[in-house]
Amino acid sequence: MVTKVMQIILSPILALIVGVFFLGLARKIMARIHWRYGPPLVQPVIDMIRLFYQKSVSHGRMFDLGIILSLAGSIVVILFLPFGRICPLSNSGGLLVILYIMLLAPLGMALSAGQGANPNISIGISRKLILSLGYEVPLLLVLLAVMTRYKTISIVQVVNAQQNTGWSVFSFPLFLSGLSYFLILPAILGIRPFDVSSAPQEISSGPMVEYGGKYLALATIEHAFALFISIALFVNLFLGGGANPITFFIKMLVVFVLGICIHAVFPRFRIEQAIKYLWKWPTLLAFLGLIMTLVIRS
Amino acid sequence: MDRNQITKWIKAPAKMANKYSLHAIYFCTGCGIIEVPPVITSRWDAERFGVIPVATPRQANLFLITGYVSVKTLRAIIRTYEQMLEPKYAIGFGSCPINGGMYWDSYNTIKHLDKYIPIDGWIAGCMPRPEAIIIAVTHLWTLIDKDMANGYVKYRENYEYYRKNQEKVLGELDWPPLYPTE
Repeated sequence: MVTKVMQIILSPILALIVGVFFLGLARKIMARIHWRYGPPLVQPVIDMIRLFYQKSVSHGRMFDLGIILSLAGSIVVILFLPFGRICPLSNSGGLLVILYIMLLAPLGMALSAGQGANPNISIGISRKLILSLGYEVPLLLVLLAVMTRYKTISIVQVVNAQQNTGWSVFSFPLFLSGLSYFLILPAILGIRPFDVSSAPQEISSGPMVEYGGKYLALATIEHAFALFISIALFVNLFLGGGANPITFFIKMLVVFVLGICIHAVFPRFRIEQAIKYLWKWPTLLAFLGLIMTLVIRS
Repeated sequence: MDRNQITKWIKAPAKMANKYSLHAIYFCTGCGIIEVPPVITSRWDAERFGVIPVATPRQANLFLITGYVSVKTLRAIIRTYEQMLEPKYAIGFGSCPINGGMYWDSYNTIKHLDKYIPIDGWIAGCMPRPEAIIIAVTHLWTLIDKDMANGYVKYRENYEYYRKNQEKVLGELDWPPLYPTE
């Protein structure tokens, strides 16, 4: 009982530390790829301290509540995700619950930003929703394939099965699904080539345009959580989870660095190019993976 | 971060965070903006000092006014400066915002920018080199350390003076006053 409570308190803090570390690392790696020295690794923490001490401007009740809703949604998803062996709510829920609650975070951000009443915000939100329409289809197919392959909806059992049979990204029908998930990962993370919704040069960083002070700091924390969730889901489903938090963290680090290398060198898609890409190759691969899994299973 | 900075961080975290996280707003008033891209990219990597460009005034706390200020741009500069969140710092870049520079007898530019918004520091020259921006940032650090970079406080206290000067150039302003005036 005590360990359970400790885990419930500890795992969001752990996720926050990992997410903020990733944000700092992203800026450092980007700088090194551009042949710059780059900021110190703790730069996101410095920025957040500055933002928390700044005066902030609210744009209404929903502006305050929406961001809290999205933070709450992210924290609940983290409680369902195993981090190594740490999984506070392992007995309840599973992939279906994660799928539902994962929608809360972008929804909260959309509600909160929408109160700002800036034209750039509405363009950004519409782009974000169209993009999520693009990646939700392959994501659903991928998760269905995993659930069919291991005959369970519990993410803990998927991890345990992989400890016995090897990583599912190297098993025959599921490597198609794993590849598909990796192809849509930049879209889920909102990094280039899919950063259409938060493009600073086109639409003044989209939904973030009216955020400043404490609100921007909370939005950064929410971004860190979102980074953690989508990478941890990939590691749990396809890279065999982790026997302890350290191996799990190393696997997350490898996936994240690969994603950042893509982010650093690619230009930005237009929104219709992004949809065309997302509904073509990742969806095709995910669909093939699902069909193969069904054929092998019967 | 060296060791004697840790005590400073514990004593005044807000001041230190303001120093090392200066987010400059992208705002091109004149020719001086051409010196900013080399500063933020690989040649003079300003991100080492925590200086990065951001796209919106809400996220920014450093305002670089680069080059001559025409009357039309002054309107946008004032609105942008008022939208930034406190504490905020403004730097005039080049000789034109200081005293008019080569446009001193132009009918369409203003000569002394610090009559309209408070400026925390000047970079003289036409053009200043990109290194001058980095030197200006280090000078701004010193000013923040000594609590002398208080342009936003001056703006709040002498708002009527600034507003009067702004109305003298721009005519009737079409936005409400930022701070209450008698």
